[in-house]
Amino acid sequence: MEVKVLSAKFDIADAHLLEVAKQHGAYATLEKLFAMPPADVIDEVKNSGLRGRGGAGFPAGLKWSFLPKGLDKPVYLAVNSDESEPATFKDRYILTRDPHLLIEGIIICCWAIGCHDCYIYIRGEYTTQRKALQKAIDEAYDAGYLGEKVAGQDFRLDVTVHRGAGAYVCGEETALLESVEGRKGQPRSKPPFPAVAGLYGCPTIINNVQTIASLPFIIANGADAYKAYGTEKSPGTHLFGISGHVERPGMYELPLGLPLLEVIDKVAGGVWKARKLKAVIPGGSSTPVLTPEEAATTTLDYESMAAHKTMFGSGGIVVLDETVDMVRLVKNLIDFYHHESCGQCTPCREGLGWMLKIVKQLLNGEGTTADIDLLRELCDNIEMKTVCVLSAACTMPVRSYLDKFRPEFEAYAADRAKTEAA
Amino acid sequence: MAETVKLFVNGQEVEVESGKNLIDALKVVGIEIPHFCYHPALGADGNCRMCLVGIEDGRPPLVPACKTPVSEGLKVQLDAEKIRKIQHDVMELELINHPIDCPVCDQAGECALQDYYMTYDHQASRMRVPQVVKEKKLDFGCGVVHDQERCVLCARCVRFTRLITKTGELGIVNRSDEARVTVFPGRQLDNRYALNVVDLCPVGAMTSRDFRFKQRAWFLKRSPSICHGCSMGCNIFIDHNREKGGDDLIYRFRPRHNALVNGYFICDEGRLTYHQENEGRLATAMVDGKDSPLDQAIEMARRKLENARKPVFLLSPNCSLEQMLAIRALAESRKARLSGFSDAYIKNGDGDGWLIQDDKSANRAGLELLGIDTAREGFAQALEDADLLVNFNSMRIVPAAAELAGKIAGLTTIAISSHNGPLTRQAAVALPVSSYSEYGGMVINTNHILQRFAPAVIKNQPAPDMLDLLRQLGCTLTERTDLGKAMQQAIPALAGTDMSAFPAEGLNLKEKETDHVTA
Amino acid sequence: MSNRAHLTFTGKPFQFDAERDAEFEYLVKRYPTRESMILPALWLTQEQEGWVPGEAIAYIADRIGTFASQVYEAATFYTMYHLHPVGRNHICICRTLSCWLRGKQEIVDYLAGEIGIRPGEVSEDGRFSLEEVECLGHCGTAPVVQVNGEFHENMDVEKLKQLLAGLP
Repeated sequence: MEVKVLSAKFDIADAHLLEVAKQHGAYATLEKLFAMPPADVIDEVKNSGLRGRGGAGFPAGLKWSFLPKGLDKPVYLAVNSDESEPATFKDRYILTRDPHLLIEGIIICCWAIGCHDCYIYIRGEYTTQRKALQKAIDEAYDAGYLGEKVAGQDFRLDVTVHRGAGAYVCGEETALLESVEGRKGQPRSKPPFPAVAGLYGCPTIINNVQTIASLPFIIANGADAYKAYGTEKSPGTHLFGISGHVERPGMYELPLGLPLLEVIDKVAGGVWKARKLKAVIPGGSSTPVLTPEEAATTTLDYESMAAHKTMFGSGGIVVLDETVDMVRLVKNLIDFYHHESCGQCTPCREGLGWMLKIVKQLLNGEGTTADIDLLRELCDNIEMKTVCVLSAACTMPVRSYLDKFRPEFEAYAADRAKTEAA
Repeated sequence: MAETVKLFVNGQEVEVESGKNLIDALKVVGIEIPHFCYHPALGADGNCRMCLVGIEDGRPPLVPACKTPVSEGLKVQLDAEKIRKIQHDVMELELINHPIDCPVCDQAGECALQDYYMTYDHQASRMRVPQVVKEKKLDFGCGVVHDQERCVLCARCVRFTRLITKTGELGIVNRSDEARVTVFPGRQLDNRYALNVVDLCPVGAMTSRDFRFKQRAWFLKRSPSICHGCSMGCNIFIDHNREKGGDDLIYRFRPRHNALVNGYFICDEGRLTYHQENEGRLATAMVDGKDSPLDQAIEMARRKLENARKPVFLLSPNCSLEQMLAIRALAESRKARLSGFSDAYIKNGDGDGWLIQDDKSANRAGLELLGIDTAREGFAQALEDADLLVNFNSMRIVPAAAELAGKIAGLTTIAISSHNGPLTRQAAVALPVSSYSEYGGMVINTNHILQRFAPAVIKNQPAPDMLDLLRQLGCTLTERTDLGKAMQQAIPALAGTDMSAFPAEGLNLKEKETDHVTA
Repeated sequence: MSNRAHLTFTGKPFQFDAERDAEFEYLVKRYPTRESMILPALWLTQEQEGWVPGEAIAYIADRIGTFASQVYEAATFYTMYHLHPVGRNHICICRTLSCWLRGKQEIVDYLAGEIGIRPGEVSEDGRFSLEEVECLGHCGTAPVVQVNGEFHENMDVEKLKQLLAGLP
């Protein structure tokens, strides 16, 4: 089932080194690229159907076309390497195993959008990954792939790595921009969208690492070659991360559209310890959970996920075996989102803390069924009332656990009832 | 009104000024959209989420009103069930970690949380878990005291120090529900406008050490007035109250919006000048340093003035235009030399190019307009052979006239004064007069804005009005109608102006003159 | 998050050493505004001192030409900046979803028992400090532990014993 498009060089020894990477085709697309007018590059990417691989799945080429034309301002590219959504661990493979693929993608994107200054925002926790990336960038500068004349062309491109420092919310594109500008990572209200007024008030494109790393293949082989993978509406391949209760957790490149359970079984070795499957989180912790019945009809693409009222997200699949206590899992989730709430909007700032305390109360045997109802109601009250979707990233999954596994929550409420009766 | 657009609110068509956001534009036509973080001087931040409104057929269907400009045909939903629910839900979330101790909160009675609770929430708390604990009674400097638990994190105060004073002392540290407003240790509030954060704070998180717990908000009468602390003439509210058995006292000044003059703010120094209206007042008339019945003292002053051969009148640059006109008229009839010498009101280099001016007087432009000499030489010369000095409430004469002090000391003086001062103590006759919080009149600020103010405070035993005293001293120009005519003569821009329709923002005399020229 | 507003001051003036100074001057040229240097400067401080003293926040603000409150905001918002001294070996244990599912609590309990400190504390000899952190992006090799920035994957008590023994 696995394919090697993005991950083609992942298993080649020392492919992170320019010398080795070049032997295996790195930067080979540049000659073709610089012969293409930027508009043609955008069209090619549009035609490929490449969708943003950070989680939102917005068509990449379309995003680029939102840049206003003829502005007397610089255009910026911000590469989102914040990768902080729980269960997501794909981009770092690119950073450590094939960083030149990313750099090549950056050159392609910058040529297409007329950008000369690119910032790669990497989460602070990725220490070794940052070093690997910086080393590759330094190599690329030395080899003339970055700097005043990219590959000898009259085209300047500077790439700077900007380190985050422990804030999930900076994966939200405008929070990321705020962070580069030296502020707290608090998302901006939109409009204006970054393509119009982004970094330093200038038109800015923000793309995920994997999205950018997908570009060399598309330019080298054409949109059709890319579309040969995946489904009609979800073309291409994706670096899926499979974690949790499986025999062989890990990162696997797969075409989109494969059956979820088959992937879990065949690629990741199935549920570990011969246990039964309880549920699957399909695309990172913020995506609503699927029961085994739902998972059985789900395929790994945007449209199937939507049909199952969940999301493709970041492609971080988490398998939950029969032993998982869903109330504790929900506490773990809310803990995360509460910890990461930027503190800007009232509903998220105050609401997630309240939800966390209610779940804790339930776990302590001090909750009632009214608390479960309140928790469920708070999901509705908080969701989509905020500047960004961090609160929804918490309430959407929590609602799904409450709805699909309510008896488990009620059992905790019954504990209190029992204690009181005694 | 400038250009307008028509839009629909709850299905009803309304016409509003274009170029504004929904909150400001609809406020003008009497439609309130609740909000905490938005403030017209600080712009839209969008963090409180209280102003979310529905847009029919809109994408997105839910928008913050503070960030949404009015546009033709926009269909705004304010009373839709879903919007009411959002307001209710946001209020609930605002309140879960907020102390519910309004009875002991200084903000009670003028608190947005309280008001909105009554309008939009009105439910018992469903919070059965412990609240977030933060710090209280933090000294932020400049007399600002902060309570982190009462704070709703609207960031108005933070934005004020970053955008307006550009001193940036305040910040919101941490994130999630641990977020809190604070100062960096050792870098407290240090700007001359800091107390504005108390007014800006929609709740009781920012309090003024000077005002807190002195008076409940609902007891205060709010009278519009004009600060006399400097020549900016900032518009203020005088918040005052007569407690049972006490006198009418001022508890605070607050800024009153005037786009022509001070915008939304006032300086701290001016704000605290209210103390001077309460304290140090000349309470009784005095003759030769001894208390005297007022009528006898007035009679004494009248006779001294009548008998003087070479009287000199010194008038305060704080006098209203009406007072100046009347004093000038009396000077003419008594052949007195008139001086507006008042260098001591000027503190060179103190102004900041914004609201704070070097000139600490309210109506120097009035002196200039009426052609009253303010030069030291003129005053010194006049004193040379003077036999009487009548001081019309000039409070700052001695420091700037040290070498004149001896001369003055040798003179018979009549001090007509609202406050105790060096000249009142040595005066042959000292007559108390009301101060600007107690009378009405007109002043012209440093930017040539003519402004009118009304009496605010009514003392139990009011000091005589300056015009009243002047009449008793023989001045014939003290009647309102006569003064009105004299004013129109003195100020061409006022000719033909219906004074009952005098613009609330004041009148820009410079602009008016230009108008005349171009017309 | 916990309240990070309380800062520790050393009572000594702070400044970058020659190496960080040069790094600062190199980086500042790569951004159009000096404010962009707030996060990088906090990182340089932490590399130099092991943590971020209160004095450094004021120093960074003055050096960049911005408000101390703004640097203070960033230092407290981003949880990777240590606002108090940490141990020679700062051990972060991922506490989120996949690591939780695959037994992070055993790791925490073992470390707490072995070193005698709980997450958030520093051992008396200054050798260790523990911190439970949110998802470290190594979910496929959970549970994961990070010691002074180095990742240790697929952890269990056995591997932990070896790891601890090898730490200075």
